[in-house]
Formats: sequence, C-alpha cells, structure tokens
Amino acid sequence: MSDIHIDGLTKEFDDVTAVDDISFDVDSGEFLVLVGPSGCGKSTTLRMIAGLEDITSGELRIGERRVNELAPKERNIAMVFQNYALYPHMTSAENMKFGMKSVSDYTSEEINERVRKAADILDIPELLDRKPSELSGGERQRVAIGRAIVREPDVFLLDEPLSNLDAKLRVQMRAELLQLHRELDATTVYVTHDQTEAMTLGDRVAVLNDGQIEQVDPPQMLYDFPDTRFVAEFIGSPAMNIVPIDLAFGDGAVAHHESFELSLPNPELFTERPDSAYFGVRPEDVSLVDNVAGDPETFEAEVSVTEPLGESLLVHCLLGGDELHVKAEARTELDAGDTVELCVDEERLHVFDDAGDAIYHSSPRGETVSDAAETQVEP
Amino acid sequence: MPEFTKPYESRWQAFLLLLPTFAVLIAFLYYPGVETFRLSLQQTILLGTRKTFVGLENYATLATSSAYHWSFAISVAFAAVVVVGTLVASLFVAYLLFQVDVGSSTYLIAAIWPYALPTAVAASVLLFLLHPSLGIITYVLESLTGTSLDWFTNGPQAFAIVAVVAIWKQLGYNIIFMVASLNNIPETLTESAKLDGVGHLKMLYRVYVPLMSPTLVFLVVMNTIYAFFQTFPLVDLMTSGGPNEATNLLIFKLYRDAFEFSNLGLASAESVVLFAIVAILMYVQLRLSESYTTYA
Repeated sequence: MSDIHIDGLTKEFDDVTAVDDISFDVDSGEFLVLVGPSGCGKSTTLRMIAGLEDITSGELRIGERRVNELAPKERNIAMVFQNYALYPHMTSAENMKFGMKSVSDYTSEEINERVRKAADILDIPELLDRKPSELSGGERQRVAIGRAIVREPDVFLLDEPLSNLDAKLRVQMRAELLQLHRELDATTVYVTHDQTEAMTLGDRVAVLNDGQIEQVDPPQMLYDFPDTRFVAEFIGSPAMNIVPIDLAFGDGAVAHHESFELSLPNPELFTERPDSAYFGVRPEDVSLVDNVAGDPETFEAEVSVTEPLGESLLVHCLLGGDELHVKAEARTELDAGDTVELCVDEERLHVFDDAGDAIYHSSPRGETVSDAAETQVEP
Repeated sequence: MPEFTKPYESRWQAFLLLLPTFAVLIAFLYYPGVETFRLSLQQTILLGTRKTFVGLENYATLATSSAYHWSFAISVAFAAVVVVGTLVASLFVAYLLFQVDVGSSTYLIAAIWPYALPTAVAASVLLFLLHPSLGIITYVLESLTGTSLDWFTNGPQAFAIVAVVAIWKQLGYNIIFMVASLNNIPETLTESAKLDGVGHLKMLYRVYVPLMSPTLVFLVVMNTIYAFFQTFPLVDLMTSGGPNEATNLLIFKLYRDAFEFSNLGLASAESVVLFAIVAILMYVQLRLSESYTTYA
C-alpha cells in the first residue's frame, strides 16, 4: 500500500484548463472520494493519477516515487471503469488473468490462486467460467473489481463504478465496496458525481468544482462546516437554503432579510464582517414552530408547494422574493397558501460572503463532528 | 405503445415502391443468370448466332480439360494469397492508423486512396511502374536485391506481381472497415490493457482481432469475391493470362473463351462453375466463422 501526494496538479486541453493547480494527499489505506458535478475535472484527475492523461504541470508521487513520467503499467495501480471494461470474448476468469499474464513474473499457479482468492472475497466463484454477456451489471462490476484485486496494486482507482447500476443494486454494492475496502485496506481514490456515494464511502471527501478543490474533509465535516457556498449546496439533499441578507454588528450580530430578522449566536466566530452576505441553513434545521418547545425567534412564511418524501414532508415556503425549503414532520397537514411560523436551529447556521466563502458557522468548527469519522464507515 | 405507422397504404403501393429495385435486379442479374445457365447447355458458333442443345457436354469438357484444371488451381491459389495477404497487410496498416494520434485522417486518406482508383487505371499505372525494363519500382527492387525481375516471361513472378497489385488495390477497402471496427471497441478496454501493461501485438491478436471478428468475416467474404471476380482488369492489362498461362485465372479464361475463341456455351459453363465455387466458398466461410466470431 502506498500513499499519494498531489502537488499543484494541472491539466490543460488546448485552451481549456480541466484541472487547475490542485493539491491533496491520500494516506496509505485511505478511501478518498473525489466528488463534483460533470466537467469539474474529477475524472481527469483520476486519469492523471492512472497515467492515462499526461500531466501538464505539478507533481504526482505514489509512495516516495515521482510518477509523472512513468507509463501506466509502471505505476502499479488498478482501475475500475464505469462501463466495467471487461473483454467480452473472455470468461470472467480469463478477464481477471489477462493482465496478470502480461506481467511475466507470475507462474500460472500463482495467478490461478489469486483469481480463486479474489473470487472468494467477491463471492463470485460460480461466475468464473461465464462470459460478460451472461452476467448482470452488478456481477460484471464484481468481476471488474476482481480483476483489480488480483493485481494486488498499490492504489485502487474507481471511476464512477456504480453509475451504470440500478438504484437498489447501487446501495447494495456501496455497502459491499466499504466492506471490501476494510478487508483489503487498500489506498483508494473513488470518483463519483453522486454526493450520497461520496458521503457514505469516503474516509475523506474532496469536492471539486471547475477544476479546483473546494474542500477536502471527512464527510460529516463537509456537511456541518462547508468551506464554500458551492460545497454547502452540493453536499446534502435537499440542498441547503441560501438567501441574501444584510448584516448588522452591534452587541451581537443580526441578519436582516425582508421577511425575517435573526440574531446570530457566537458573533465572535465571524471571520469577516461585511454589510451584506448570504445566509445558509439546511432544510432539516428549519422547523415549524408548532413542533418546537421553548420560545425561539420566529418568522412567518407562505407555503407554496409541499412534497411528501415519506419519512418527512418537504415544504417549499416563500420568504419575500426567496424560497426556503423546510423539512417538516411527515403527515403535517399543510396546503399551498397557508402561512406557517418558522424557526431555525441556532447551532446550525452558516453565512457566506459574496465570493462564496464561508465567513461564519454558528458552532465552533469540530464540535459536532467528533465521532463522525467512526460512524460514517458503518455500511 | 405508439401505433406502428405503415410507410405505405396498400400492397400495391408497397409493390410499386419495390418495383424499381426488382426491375434492375431482374434485368441485369436474374435474367442474365438464367440465360447464362441456358447458354451453358448449348454449343454456339459465331457469338451465339447458331446454337444447338448439347446437355452437359460443356461441363464434361471442363471436367476433363487440363487447361481448365490449371486455371482452377491457380485461381484458388491466387484467391488464397490475395485474401490472406490483404487481410494481414490491412490489419497492420489499420492498427497503425488506429494508434496514431496526429494527422490520422491524412494517413487514412493516403491509405484508402488506391481504392478510389478505377482498377483499369491502377493496372495501367502499375504496369508502367513495375515494367521489367522501364519500371522505376522494378529498378529499385533489382538494385536492392540484386535479382533480375522479368515477370513478362517468368510465370511465378507474374503471378506474384498480379497478386501484390490485387492486394494493394484492395487495401483501402479493408482498411476503412477495419479502422471503423477498431474505433468501435470501447476505449476503456485499451486503457485497462495499458494499466496492465499488455503489449501492442498481444493486444492486437488477443483483444482487437476477436472483437473485430464480425468485420473480418465480412471482409474475408468480400475479398474472396474480389479475388475471383474483380481481378479481371489487372490480368487483362498486365499479363493477359500469361506468361505460359501463369495468370490465366478463371475469370480471365472464361472471358477469352467467350470473346476471343467465340465459344459462348463453354464460357457460360465456366461462368456457372465459377459462381458455384464462390457460392460454396462463402457458405463454408460463414459456417466456419460462426463458431469463432464474437458478436459482443
């Protein structure tokens, strides 16, 4: 197993900069997820690590070795592709052996032994003699992962491996991937556009946008303390509410919006004090006042649409010219046009400046995430 | 479910739409075919102005003619050389074209250019270039190898020259299909092999060729038809079947029997036999390839 060091990595295609000076490390045995919208450069980054794309500038090291100039085969990595990339005319076993056989220093007993072991780990011994066309999508992806395992590489790279599977299978494979990662303890870089996958799988998650890294943190940290407005809106579903506010700083800090006024706790946590900014709060941190004990600061809003999600009710409220999504209790009786009284969880408020950077979280960073890293690895 | 919309309103309309195609097929394929078969059962003189029914006599003549046996043998040998030679040469050129990153379309055009030349033009040009005493290629070959090329009198040399020209002429056609087929192979297979460090040649014969097999089968069939039927202009312009019958392929022999020796009946019989040979070969090729072909 090796760690990966990425320092100032840049990739330019003709006049487009796909990856723009990004730096991060992946620790030995860590599961790092690269997540971002289409075209953000996450796949390009992965392909540069694999050696399938040339590096325009910056340095890539695997272990202590600089690998910028090394051919893919010399980097000792294995990659799993979205479309599985299995050879359709070979059986599963042949698919798993094919790459091994081109590396001459393995005997066929060794290869067979490794294939058998990998098949056991993935629970696919009965599929070894079948061709890809006789396998389901999930089985194919298992064979593709098996092919990566038999190589015993320093680094596993996975490029949207679950995107071609149906929703139910995706959830199941997600859990299996986690279990597999714990068994193999392999350094893994995983690319996905799906923030749920990123949250559930990653030891840490790197959010990319427009060729740049927005934030690299454990999933709960990303969720609770987004560094930027982009991360705040990208991570979490339904997305965080963001509304423009004016800020007034006196004894405390007060957020003014055309339809509410809210004093923000812990004003000393503001890193900047601009006059206007953006106020962020997650839908589950806004409540209907009827459901809250005590005497919180409240404000009124008008219901425009309600969406039953089953376990909860997503209420779209009009707040002056802005929309606010509220996760209310399931089966709450609300209709469009009703006026509701709302309040927010004071510990879970965020403020972003005009440039999109976070300048305030209402709780000190690190308080609510102490045990996040442990809980998130449970499948 | 969306309603199936008929492209025509009645059977008559359908028939009318098919009529032009069928008219052409009947006038230029089926009718001449039947006529040829009828002619092959007749003895003719003076280009068919007088005919007498002779049954299978023409076929019997062919079966016992040593000249025909010879022509049959060299035609099969010629076809084998041309089919295999074309496939192997095109495969390597196509593979190189597939791998090159810069200027690939220029190379592609250069590679398929020979196919755009009419066969007769190509034959005339190559006749000059390969002329035993005047040809520039012959000159270079002779000075490089120290041998003397005289394919106007040397039978095996003439056979080889015509075969090489036939292969050269057919490269473009094969390359177009092969490059298209290679480009259809998912790129991730190539990338996956790169990560494993699979060599280029191994990749070609273990992965690309099996995945291209449907295209290759098609090309084997097309090249066979080409080698038997469409090499007539090459022989006619370059060797006229000589020297010493060395290039007297079936397609050329039947032309000569018909129009030089005015034996239309016999030539028709040769035509029918040639058709049967190619038909049987195609059947065998398609049956044999079924078990080896991957339709992914």
